[in-house]
Amino acid sequence: MPLLELGGLVARYGAAEVLKDLSLVVEEGEIVALLGSNGAGKSTTLRAISGLVPNVAGRLDFAGRSLIGMKPEAIVRLGVAHVPEGRRVFPGLTVRENILLGGSNRRGAGRRVLERETDEMLAFFPDLKRLEHALGWTLSGGQLQMVAVARGMMAKPRLLLLDEPSLGLAPLVVQQVFRIIAEIRQRGTTVLLVEQNAHMALSVADRGYVLETGSLLVSGKPAELWSNPDVRAAYLGGKTVAAAVG
Amino acid sequence: MSLVPQLLFTGFGIGAIYALVALGFVLLIRAASVVNFAQGEFSMLGAYAMVVLSGLLGVPYWVALPVAVLVMAGFGVLFAGATYWPLRHRGQLPVIISTIGASIFLANTVLALYGPSPEVLPGLFDTPGFEVGGVFMDSQYVAIMVTAAAMLLLQFLIFEKTLLGKKLQATSQDKEMASLLGIPVALMVLITFAYSAALGGLAGILVAPVLFVSVGMGTIISLKAFAANIIGGFGNIPGAILGGLALGIVETFGAAYVSVPYKDALAFGLLLLFLLIRPQGLFGEKIAEKA
Repeated sequence: MPLLELGGLVARYGAAEVLKDLSLVVEEGEIVALLGSNGAGKSTTLRAISGLVPNVAGRLDFAGRSLIGMKPEAIVRLGVAHVPEGRRVFPGLTVRENILLGGSNRRGAGRRVLERETDEMLAFFPDLKRLEHALGWTLSGGQLQMVAVARGMMAKPRLLLLDEPSLGLAPLVVQQVFRIIAEIRQRGTTVLLVEQNAHMALSVADRGYVLETGSLLVSGKPAELWSNPDVRAAYLGGKTVAAAVG
Repeated sequence: MSLVPQLLFTGFGIGAIYALVALGFVLLIRAASVVNFAQGEFSMLGAYAMVVLSGLLGVPYWVALPVAVLVMAGFGVLFAGATYWPLRHRGQLPVIISTIGASIFLANTVLALYGPSPEVLPGLFDTPGFEVGGVFMDSQYVAIMVTAAAMLLLQFLIFEKTLLGKKLQATSQDKEMASLLGIPVALMVLITFAYSAALGGLAGILVAPVLFVSVGMGTIISLKAFAANIIGGFGNIPGAILGGLALGIVETFGAAYVSVPYKDALAFGLLLLFLLIRPQGLFGEKIAEKA
């Protein structure tokens, strides 16, 4: 049984059908990349999985259990953590407090356990320890991304949804972020990764799916995707190719 | 006669009331994006709850006080269910209008039950007060200031030291993200409503011996809390407290040196002055449209 299975998934915002008949699977222990140009429905896919899109139909199973109709609070308790686009670090809370709250989905874990795990998380991510007491709004893009990922990991998720972790980051920081993603998988967490930066995403992913206007264009292993002319066509003129080539 | 320290004392006392109400007002803006025009009615209802409990039912004052505050906390949840919950996905304006409606409904319900003549509530202490260095310390004003300071300290401890406080702050800063972390957002918003109503009710009970208990007391308190908020910087917590104190002091000095009937006009004059010269308030940032 796959960890995550989407079958014929349809998602609507009002009258607009953003996902049409999307099917994909993520097996336990994989890193799967979700690629596609702007507006292809990548973020909506993640938002549908974590319960942020109210109007969803079709099959959406996590560990054999349907997530359709469940609230975000309940879905994260099952072990699906979502690090959304834009990082969404609480601006008025410190780095430590932001990370600490990442454990809010674990009802059994008391304050002492969460504080100890926050210490571990601060030690695991480069630079975060010295920023422990800095407020969210004072951080740089790279620092925000680290806090957002650390906060997501505090949920002890089985599946981590990462939306555009490289967006707006300097190349060196992007490499750091992707090293951490690889390490997160080493530690046993499955990752579903949405990226514009196809080059970086496919360098860590086991498999990739390419979306086009709400449905699946093609899927496969990184090497297969790179050699697929449709994929190249879908990306031609996009900033990803420019970034990857240039 | 040391008039200035005396006026400062009284100004701080009345300002502390405005600060408490403004605080409840700000918390709702931050946690639920609700601009609650019935905030003053929380104070009016709190005072009437005391009138019923201690006057009508004969419950001892010191028992009635915490009970009335708890009743108001429960009322805050009811209020949220009626005015906010059904409209929470419709944006801010429908909720604002709904709170205006609730304010009118609550005032008229109390008017129908109790009539227009004001009720009297006794103060917290039997002694009228004492003198320190030429300043007469009215015992009710002392009670107001001590309670307000205690509430601020309590709130600081809850918000800064407890996990619940962090969750409340997270909810007020980004509800969607809070829900993604598993924070029960609906519960956090209800807790804020309960706390805000309890705070407003407490302010109403404290100020009742000074202002009398009347249906109209809610309106004037609402306006002052709103003004305190603008002066302090809209949605800013320390700003609301300072804004409330500033209003209390300005109107007390105005009543003493200019004219008693004009004291409210002077308080709102301060509001107008801020709107003209520093519309972002004491602590507010310049409001920029988000891209």
